[in-house]
Amino acid sequence: MTSSPNASDALRADLTAALGASDWRRAMQLARHLTASQAGMRHVSFVVRTLEKANLPESGLKKLRVALLSSFSIEFLRPHLILQAFLSGIQVDIYVAGFDQFQQEIRNPGSNLYSFAPDVVILAVEGEAWLPEIYSDGPAYAMTGFDEVIRNFANELRNLVAAFRRHSTATLLINNLVVPAQRQLGVLDAQSEFGQRAGVAQANDQLAEVARASAGVFAFDYERVVSYHGAAHWYDQRMSFYASAPVSMSMLPKLASEYLKYFRAVSGLAKKCLVLDLDNTLWGGVIGEDGLSGIALDTTYPGNAFRAFQREIANLQKRGVILAVASKNNLGDVEEVFDKHPHMILKAEHFSAMEVHWKPKSVSLELIARKLNISLEHMVFVDDNPAECAEVSQHLPMVTVIQLPKQPELYVAALHEHGWFDTISLSKEDQRRGDLYKQRDLAETMREQSASLDDFLQGLQMEIVFAPVTASSLARSVQLTQKTNQLNATTLRLNASDITSRMNDSSRWLTAVTVKDRFGDNGIVGLTISRLQSRVMEIELFLLSCRVIGRNVETAMLAHLCDQALRRDASELRGKIVPTAKNIPVRDVFERHGFEKLEELLSGETTWRLDLPGQRVAWPRWIKVRDEEAVATKP
Amino acid sequence: MEEQVRRVMADILELDPKSIDTSTSKDNTASWDSLGHINLIVGLEQEFQVYFDVSEIESMVSFSDVLDALERKLQA
Repeated sequence: MTSSPNASDALRADLTAALGASDWRRAMQLARHLTASQAGMRHVSFVVRTLEKANLPESGLKKLRVALLSSFSIEFLRPHLILQAFLSGIQVDIYVAGFDQFQQEIRNPGSNLYSFAPDVVILAVEGEAWLPEIYSDGPAYAMTGFDEVIRNFANELRNLVAAFRRHSTATLLINNLVVPAQRQLGVLDAQSEFGQRAGVAQANDQLAEVARASAGVFAFDYERVVSYHGAAHWYDQRMSFYASAPVSMSMLPKLASEYLKYFRAVSGLAKKCLVLDLDNTLWGGVIGEDGLSGIALDTTYPGNAFRAFQREIANLQKRGVILAVASKNNLGDVEEVFDKHPHMILKAEHFSAMEVHWKPKSVSLELIARKLNISLEHMVFVDDNPAECAEVSQHLPMVTVIQLPKQPELYVAALHEHGWFDTISLSKEDQRRGDLYKQRDLAETMREQSASLDDFLQGLQMEIVFAPVTASSLARSVQLTQKTNQLNATTLRLNASDITSRMNDSSRWLTAVTVKDRFGDNGIVGLTISRLQSRVMEIELFLLSCRVIGRNVETAMLAHLCDQALRRDASELRGKIVPTAKNIPVRDVFERHGFEKLEELLSGETTWRLDLPGQRVAWPRWIKVRDEEAVATKP
Repeated sequence: MEEQVRRVMADILELDPKSIDTSTSKDNTASWDSLGHINLIVGLEQEFQVYFDVSEIESMVSFSDVLDALERKLQA
């Protein structure tokens, strides 16, 4: 994609002028523009050359001396690091050690590396260079494993780090190893104890351990970077064999961007405060126009995407990022959402400052900066509206602006893309961050640990809430009747007015079933409608979303229906199965719970009855139940 | 196309576009070293959305060679 030469010529002229006038912030914005719209190497070359001619040392930008040590031609990374560092407000000086000279450079106290006096050293050594046994000669170890090879690798690394620390206090980043894309054992590698996958995993564990043991030494998760972008795209075999430059040139900006997370962190430029817009950022729609029940924020699209975004923001807050709001709204409307909307993950107490009024957002940001005593350089502003983003960029060029894409499902990726908030210091926040990772892995760990289904269910710590259907759960109820096919006993499709008229009928009870577990809130996943006619409680509708099938939620729903019937002094609970092509999973639900068959029509429709209170369905032991209907006032 | 190649070359090899002509070659241009050569190839690939094999890369050692290689690529 190349825009017209004239446009880029104009940007180039502006950039040169801004640099000449020492207008560094303006120069950063122009450089970002030029290289974002014109991703090509020629523009990167131009910007870097122009920067090198400018009087950057006098710019007051943070200075960082970076040394690149590698087993391959890493000098191609140099212009991308210089450019991206500048975009983050850092002036880097780069030393590139000779090809494959990393051992000598580190071990020799008089080496060029040490006379360069680096602040950050990147040790980018490919797995092949560390461990040819695993990469080239895998099958030879298929019976014995790599234990000894790995031990030697760990020792070599430990010695290298020790040598480095004797001569330098610089931050050291060590790329970890990437599993080869082609496995020498073929499909067997995946499960082999002694395969290449297993060997690389062992090596990476050791690498992380060596890094952990030494202050200022970090394992750089190169494997994650490569797998995120895809090994097939990451490597250029042609350049690997021809120029010892294995990383595709088009991927080098991505690699530079990962290293920049560390550069910002060691330069004290990691961001501290996230300032958020509200409408179409934390929820879909405009609260002032759409109202509390009209904004999109629930468990279905697009509301679920906004919830996912909120969850990520809450996680940033847990790891120490300060949150603030800058919104053009009526404060009352906003407070109502925070107080009353059942699907808000972010609560008012998550935010350290809220600027909700009709003043320009740049003013809000300045007020927040003053109130929280945080410099504007440390703030990231997030908004979906290009005009607001432009207003902030123009008035406060030191603020980092993230303009959200049109699709809410891409918000989380946009928030994380540059790792603005990444830190490397060991603080309480970092430790809390560790806990978060633990939580994320819990579901898997539990599945492993569950000896039986019952244990699994118990471990879920489920809580079910039974609540009468109200205006705020109406839309979801309609949707459930329209969309649920499998666990749906009568497949009665209802629209909003069908449900409303049933809500107004004093002989009917409509119950929304919400399921929570230790991993989160699943929202309203079930619905029952029952109707009392001369001491017989008839189940008109009984459905459960397939999301929570297999957790005995249906048992709890039947137990609740028994309670409901008994509260109205019914002597019998009656259910119906109307067979459809898809509702096979629900067919035996009454039979399984002790109902007896009353009749079967030619159409296959069956009716089932349960004597009350004698045969009532028992509550499952492992579920915590909250029955909001029991305290409701309906007669 | 010739003008576009001249611009890419000028940017990457730090040359004055006006100074680039058919006599410009790897042998008589100081900044056109092996590093510059790879950068130039990548710059051309990005600019013209093409992909060169190693044999082509090795043959593109002057302004005229580059134009020839690109013409062949874009016709194919």
